Amino acid sequence: MAQYTYHKAETRGHDHHDWLDSKKTFSFGDYYNPKRMGFGALRVLNDDTLPGGKGFGLHPHDNMEIISIPLKGSLRHEDSAGNKAVANTGTVQVMHAGSGLFHSEYNNSADEIAEFLQIWVYPEELNTAPRYTLGRLSYDTAPNQLHTFIAPDGISIRKDVWMSIGQFANDVSLTYQVHKPGNGMYVFVVNGRFSIDGKVLSARDGLGVWDAGGIDIKVMDSDSRLLVMEVPMII
Amino acid sequence: MENTIQLKLLAIGYDAAIMKVVDRLLNSHTGWNGVVAFTKAAGLKNIVDEKYDAVLLCVGVTIADEQVIREAVAIRHSATIVIRHYGGGSGLLENELRAALDHNNQ
Repeated sequence: MAQYTYHKAETRGHDHHDWLDSKKTFSFGDYYNPKRMGFGALRVLNDDTLPGGKGFGLHPHDNMEIISIPLKGSLRHEDSAGNKAVANTGTVQVMHAGSGLFHSEYNNSADEIAEFLQIWVYPEELNTAPRYTLGRLSYDTAPNQLHTFIAPDGISIRKDVWMSIGQFANDVSLTYQVHKPGNGMYVFVVNGRFSIDGKVLSARDGLGVWDAGGIDIKVMDSDSRLLVMEVPMII
Repeated sequence: MENTIQLKLLAIGYDAAIMKVVDRLLNSHTGWNGVVAFTKAAGLKNIVDEKYDAVLLCVGVTIADEQVIREAVAIRHSATIVIRHYGGGSGLLENELRAALDHNNQ
């Protein structure tokens, strides 16, 4: 029987600094809630806003899969492996920190804000070679379906994680089936409103579902965007 | 994190640049007193010489190294918590420690 954990947007942790406004679905930084330590291998889901010209200065990471999805504006990435890129809205940036690297992420605009989702997944193996990938998301050009952008046979972070995103018109119905039995699904509403297995989710709400083969999705508002993260429930 | 008790922490990791950041973070935190070991051998020596509240396994520490370190801690200081630190001095550091301490205090 399917199990659910529901995280309403307003229950997230919230840090506000002059350089960053961050809403955290799971415990991170100063926000600590022992009941919000992640969902299976999904450890971090931060909803970050950077003012113009601001960002994260050079800092290290290791052994974490870090996925950034710009929702507004663009991010300027540099890392110690020599990668330099600008991740615009409509792209996804995947950094496999592996054996360690330093990176910085700045709003690429001096004037406009940048909004992005910062998602961290525990790696399958420790201390592997760092890797950086910038991919394109196609939700705008082909609406009303989920587009898988992280997969073992595509941009891969580990062999048992799939991530999909879609932009939908009102009243569209669809089903998401897990790719790997035993995986859980964490659903995050970027914009709009959805019913997931009959539970209504509004913008920036999250719902974790496990012990289920899939979920029934119904769109309840126009211009609704949904992110589905399928992850193993054991780290 | 409000702490009136000083936590004595040992962080073991093999990437010097990253571990310098971990060192700075541990020792800039009120209530934490951190020591960093840059090799497994140095870490094991620290475990023999001192008792820590928690040992953090950081960058470069393999599963095999982890097993050796956990055994060394268990033999000498069974109350010491051993946890993996993911992310290289990231926003998870305080959370990982608090969760482990909460679990230990239950």
